[in-house]
Amino acid sequence: MDEIIAYLPLILPILILQLVLAVIGLISLSKAQEVRGPKWMWILIIVLGNMVGSILYFVIGRRDV
Amino acid sequence: MRSTWIFYRKEMLEMSRSFKLLWIPIVFAILGIMMPITSLFMPEILEMSGGVPPEMLSLYETPSSAMVMVQVLSQYSTMGVLILVLSCMNSVSGERYGGTAELIMVKPISSFAIIIAKWLAQCTQVFIAFGFGYIASFYYTYQMIGPLSWKSGLASFGLYGLWLILGITIALLFSTVLRGAGAAFVTLAILALLSLLNSLLPTWFSWSPARLTALASEVLVGNLLSVTSVVICCLITIGIIVFSLLSAARLLQKRVLPN
Repeated sequence: MDEIIAYLPLILPILILQLVLAVIGLISLSKAQEVRGPKWMWILIIVLGNMVGSILYFVIGRRDV
Repeated sequence: MRSTWIFYRKEMLEMSRSFKLLWIPIVFAILGIMMPITSLFMPEILEMSGGVPPEMLSLYETPSSAMVMVQVLSQYSTMGVLILVLSCMNSVSGERYGGTAELIMVKPISSFAIIIAKWLAQCTQVFIAFGFGYIASFYYTYQMIGPLSWKSGLASFGLYGLWLILGITIALLFSTVLRGAGAAFVTLAILALLSLLNSLLPTWFSWSPARLTALASEVLVGNLLSVTSVVICCLITIGIIVFSLLSAARLLQKRVLPN
């Protein structure tokens, strides 16, 4: 555990970037008028599937790209 | 010239509205930062996963900083290329099916200006995404693993960036004749074929654009064999890019997309 805390400054940026990515995904989802499949499914995918989930949403989920 | 500029600004606006200018650089940065961290903590990660004999763990050596950057580039050639190609696969056909193409094509604007504007916008995108990711991973590797020559870093950034730009140019070309997924599939198949031929028969394809990825790695590690092969590869790649842009403009004018 001590080791993890010692390396936290290194790992924190990744966590922050992942969080920002998920938030952008959710904002984009809330603004989108129509997406492929139900919206609640994409919310689950973005929240649970961290980076890959958000990428999937941006690449497959959006209709107007 | 003026119409190209206007169209370029429209493309950039579209990219920022669809969050592409945000999420693609972030994904590139995550991919880039992940690599130095996992290679530094590999023994701890293996230990936590269990089932690895301690003798093997003690054999693990942290790769040199240049090798880590090479691994970062190989990450970009799978995930990075995939994301960039998928994000620009609809750039021409989307206008057609979205209904904006009719509005644009009746105006006295040349198809070449449209293609150039789209291409410049995609290049900006590549530059921002790859630049952000590359700087992030370079900084991390420098801080965590060891010093790196920034000159060779810059050279490999340029060589690798040219390969990425070739990828998006081919995607743009095929998006004038195929619908989104088809264009992405053909582009990825062509890029994969180029890389495969290059790794199977390196002596035959020393001029191939896929050599750029290998050259970018060689520059990083510091054993670049010949400068002439760099020049030849760059010239051929630029030639293919120009040819693709010209044919994309012609195909856009002829409107070969199926309804």
